[in-house]
Amino acid sequence: MDGTFNNGSLGLYLIAGAVILFVLAQSVFFLVKAWKQGKKLGLDKSKLRNAVTSSALFTIPSALSVLATVIALAPALGLVIPWVRLSVIGNLMYETTAAEAAMEAFGHEGGIANAVTDPTVYAGIAWVMTLGICFSLIILPFLAKPLHKKFMAASNKEKPAEDTPADGKKKRTIGEFINKFATPAIFIGLIGAFIARAIAGQGSTKTPEELDGAGVLSVCTLAVAVIFSIVLELIVKKLKLTWLEPFIMPIGMIVAMIAAIVLYNVLPNGIALIEWRG
Amino acid sequence: MAKNNNKPYIDRVHSWGRISSVTALCALLMFPVAICLYLDVSPDIKFILQGLLKLIPTYWTVAVVEVLVYTPMLGAGGTYLSFVTGNIANLKLPCAINAMEGAKVKANSEEGEVISTIAIATSSIVTTAVLAIGIIAFAPFLDSFTNSPLLQPAFKMVLPALFGALGAGYFIKHWRISFFPIIVMVATLLIPGMGGTGASTLLFIGIVASVGGALAMHKLGWLDNVKE
Repeated sequence: MDGTFNNGSLGLYLIAGAVILFVLAQSVFFLVKAWKQGKKLGLDKSKLRNAVTSSALFTIPSALSVLATVIALAPALGLVIPWVRLSVIGNLMYETTAAEAAMEAFGHEGGIANAVTDPTVYAGIAWVMTLGICFSLIILPFLAKPLHKKFMAASNKEKPAEDTPADGKKKRTIGEFINKFATPAIFIGLIGAFIARAIAGQGSTKTPEELDGAGVLSVCTLAVAVIFSIVLELIVKKLKLTWLEPFIMPIGMIVAMIAAIVLYNVLPNGIALIEWRG
Repeated sequence: MAKNNNKPYIDRVHSWGRISSVTALCALLMFPVAICLYLDVSPDIKFILQGLLKLIPTYWTVAVVEVLVYTPMLGAGGTYLSFVTGNIANLKLPCAINAMEGAKVKANSEEGEVISTIAIATSSIVTTAVLAIGIIAFAPFLDSFTNSPLLQPAFKMVLPALFGALGAGYFIKHWRISFFPIIVMVATLLIPGMGGTGASTLLFIGIVASVGGALAMHKLGWLDNVKE
C-alpha cells in the first residue's frame, strides 16, 4: 500500500467496532453483577434505578464534550483512532497531546490541523497513542486489590466513637479521621483542582486559543454552577423533593453551561473573553 | 464456577476485574496490530519510541498516581471499569460520587461498591452509545454543531460547570475542609511559571493539601461537631 489511504474505510470501522464492543460487554457484565448484588444486599430498587438514570443524565453533557474531542482530532486522523482512543482508557485531556507527540515523532507537519495521508504514519500514531496510555491497565491487576483491601481495612478499623476518656479529653484518632473525613477530603482535593484552574489557571501558551484559561467566563460559569446547585439543594431539602436529589448535579451543570452561552452573547465588548492569565 | 460463587462478592469483583483488565489490554494492543495488518504497513519502531519518550514520563507517572488515588474512591468494580473506559477525573469519578451521594451510601461500604459500579458502568455504556451514535449518525453535522459559535462557550466551559455543580454538595457539607486546599491550589497557580500546571499535577497537590489540612483540623478538634 502506498500514497494516500481512506482513514474511514469499513475495515477500519470494523476493527474499532470490535474493540469498542468488547469494552461495552465488560460494562454490561459489571452492571448486571452489581445490580444483582445490590438486590442481594437489600438495596431499594428505586435507589438502583436512580443510580442508573442520574448517571446516564449526568454523563450525556460530558459524553458530548468527549465527542467534541473525537471531532477535534478527526481532521488529522479521521474518526476511527480518536473513537477508539476516547472509548478505551482515553481522556479528554491526554489524547490531543498524545496525537501531537506522535505526529511530531513521525515528522507529520501541521499537527492535528493537517490530515495524515501516509498509512505508515497513521499506524505509527495508533501505536504511540495506545502504548502511551495503557500503563494503568498493566499495573492495575497488581495494585488494585491490595490497595482496595488496605483502604477498606483502614476505614473499618476504628469506627467513630463518642469516646470521652477518663481525663475528659476527646480522642481524635487516625481511624476516625479516615472513616469520617478522608474520602470527602480526597474528593474536595480533586474537585478543587479543576475549580482552582477555573479561577487562576493559565491557558495554552503554545497555541493561543480563546477561553482556555481562567477569566470572566470561567469564573461566572463556576459561580453559576456552585450557586445554582446549592440553591437547588436547599429547595429540594426544604420541600422534601427527594426524587430530585440525584439530578441536582447534572441540572446545575447544564444550567451553568447554558449560562456560559448567555453570558458570552450578552456581555458587552468582549468582556466574556477576558482571561487574566492568558 | 461453584467455587467462585462461594467467594465474597468483593473477591469475585477483583477476579473479574483482573481478567477484564488483562483482556482489555490485549484488545487495546490488538487495535494498532490490526491496523498494521489491515493497511499492510510496519511503522519504524524508532519513531514510535521517540513519540513515546515524550509521553511516558508524564503519562506513566500519572497512571501510577491515578491508580493510587482513585482506587479507594471508586470501589473495586468501579476502579477496574473506569481504568478500562477512561475519562476518570472528568466523568467517571464525579458520576460515581454523585450516585453515592444520591443513594446516601458511603464509598467504603459494600452498598457504595455496588452503587459506584452501577454508576460507572452506566456512564461507560452511555458514553459509548453517545460516541457511537455521534460518529455513525451525526458525523456529517457534528462539525458544525461543535464549532457552532453559539454552543462553543458551553463546550469550552464544561469543566467549570461540571466541577462547580459537583463541588456544591461538598461545600455545603464539608465547607470547613474545602477552603484550604482550594486556596493552596490557587496560590500554586499564581506562582510565576506555574499558571499552566495541568489538572493531573494540580489534583495531586490538592489532594495532599486537602487531606493534610483536614487531618490537622481533625487533630485540632475543629471538626468535632461535624456530622457524617
